Amino acid sequence: MRHVLFVAFRMLLQRKRQTLVSILGVSMGVSAFIVMSSLMLGFQNYFIQQVIDLEPHVRIKPKEGQQEKEAFALLLGEKPKEKDRILGWQDMLTSLEGHPEILGVAPRLVSRGILKYGTKDKPVTLLGIDPQREPKASIIERFILYKNLKKLETNRTGVIVGVLVAKSLGVDQLGKKLLLVAPNGQTLLVTVEDFFESGITNIDDTRVYINIKTLQSLLDKQGEVNEIILKIKDVNRAEKLSRELQTGIPYEVESWQKAYRNFLSIFKIQNIITYMIVFAILTVSAFGIFNIIMMTVLEKRKDIAILMAMGFTRGDVLMVFMVEGFAIGILGAAVGSVLGFGLQEYLESVKLDVEGLIRTRGFVLDRSPVFYIYALFFSLFFSLLASLYPSYRASRLNPVDIFRSQ
Amino acid sequence: MKVLELKGIKKSIGQEQILKGIDLHVSMGEFVAVVGASGSGKSSMLYIMGLLDKPTEGEVFFEGEKIDFSNDVKLSQIRNKKIGFVFQFHYLLPEFNLLENVMLPAIKLGMRKDEAKERAYELLKALGLGGKEGRKIYQISGGEMQRVAIARALINEPSLLLADEPTGNLDSKNTQAVMNIFQEINAKGTTIVMVTHEMDLAFRSKRIVEMRDGQVLSDRLL
Repeated sequence: MRHVLFVAFRMLLQRKRQTLVSILGVSMGVSAFIVMSSLMLGFQNYFIQQVIDLEPHVRIKPKEGQQEKEAFALLLGEKPKEKDRILGWQDMLTSLEGHPEILGVAPRLVSRGILKYGTKDKPVTLLGIDPQREPKASIIERFILYKNLKKLETNRTGVIVGVLVAKSLGVDQLGKKLLLVAPNGQTLLVTVEDFFESGITNIDDTRVYINIKTLQSLLDKQGEVNEIILKIKDVNRAEKLSRELQTGIPYEVESWQKAYRNFLSIFKIQNIITYMIVFAILTVSAFGIFNIIMMTVLEKRKDIAILMAMGFTRGDVLMVFMVEGFAIGILGAAVGSVLGFGLQEYLESVKLDVEGLIRTRGFVLDRSPVFYIYALFFSLFFSLLASLYPSYRASRLNPVDIFRSQ
Repeated sequence: MKVLELKGIKKSIGQEQILKGIDLHVSMGEFVAVVGASGSGKSSMLYIMGLLDKPTEGEVFFEGEKIDFSNDVKLSQIRNKKIGFVFQFHYLLPEFNLLENVMLPAIKLGMRKDEAKERAYELLKALGLGGKEGRKIYQISGGEMQRVAIARALINEPSLLLADEPTGNLDSKNTQAVMNIFQEINAKGTTIVMVTHEMDLAFRSKRIVEMRDGQVLSDRLL
């Protein structure tokens, strides 16, 4: 193998400029892969983490569509049907609390509503919660700016509004009075006790927390709940657990994965697009490697012939050019990793307001070292693939044909 | 002892038969000159002798062992260890300096780097290239290049040196220098088969094999 390395590295070094261009091509692909993966997965993981912390891991609710029907029924003066609510929820809470996989359980009453402040109004999702039970089933307190969750207990007309709801209404201070309009036309003057910020635009722009008893009274649904939320030990078991719980419960049991399946599907598509772009970059760089090695093979026909005459086997010749491709891949991966690391550092230092599906100050990056390992693997794979054909061609040259042609 | 033996060797390229049944053997210590007009088949025979080309028909024996032309690894091992080549063109590798060019077959053989280096130094010195070991090939003359090629062919102490028109590109002074080297190394025991079309050079060998139309026309000792 020593003789193979001896020749391969000399050939690479002799074509410094072309070798450098090939290495840069690979390094571009590698750094793009590292940066795009860390950005994409950083964003996705942040979103998922926020969802897992804030949202119920599993929720039990009336079958899909019943809540909308309920709103229409109320408008038309009909009495709510029994299937629009969860019957026997107290017993269900007690039973679920004893489940070994469940950490906490809380009831909720969820409804639509409109908040008005001055001339502005904003459609919102009203979450009637039990301030004592709710923290057992979600990490809601982490997202409340002034930690005033308990005030919903003492002040029954208190509300905690999402920061974007507050921004839309022009409310920037605690203690402001807002008019809450329920779907049944009932109104209530409520006080802003706190603000709520999850970083997920969709949630912060719609959600309002209120004491469950107040909402029950406003909607004329005393003692009713339409959602039971669960916090479980292993969030990855949510889907399986929800299927297990579904047996024997006449309501829909929904895991967080199912609730956010649209987002998770988008993430999958995002990942596919990202990896396709990186694949395209690496393919282009692979053509660069193919080109340089093919050129070397064509230019070095005489040298290959004499190497064979002095005892290099066809396998040795194949290895000489494969080693060249491998070396370009390794060096490209090394340079690309350094570039990728530098870009990650830069992106992390940029304090920019990012607003979209999530809102953050600066980019959220996943700095996992796994990306570097994948990048190394991909660059080596593409480099070896690109050098395979030229190396094979070199190994199949007939030295006699070359000597005769001189 | 026979170093090399060709039995009924025929070689065709397409429809054309280049060698038409060659029977020839080369014994240890011989210096054989193969002469003939252009197209007589002398180079084709040399490539088969050097195990670089496969005959269409016939058998080749190297040091008494029948050669299996389908075994590339074995053929390469014999070429590396027991056969040295010198061609009309030097075929030195431009990436390497003179010393490294000479060292290459030894490194392929698995020789330690310092040992290969020492042997290459000695050979270059013996061939009048002492002090030029670190030079690149474009920094030396044509005659010197051919001497480096001879050093490279000799580094693994082959039992057979095959030379295909080794002086074809050299002026008369360098031609004489190369022939002197061949005579010296032959005197030290290396078997040489040299293809040439120059009869005055052939007469410096010990045996002349004349070829015509792919056949051995005459084979005489001098």
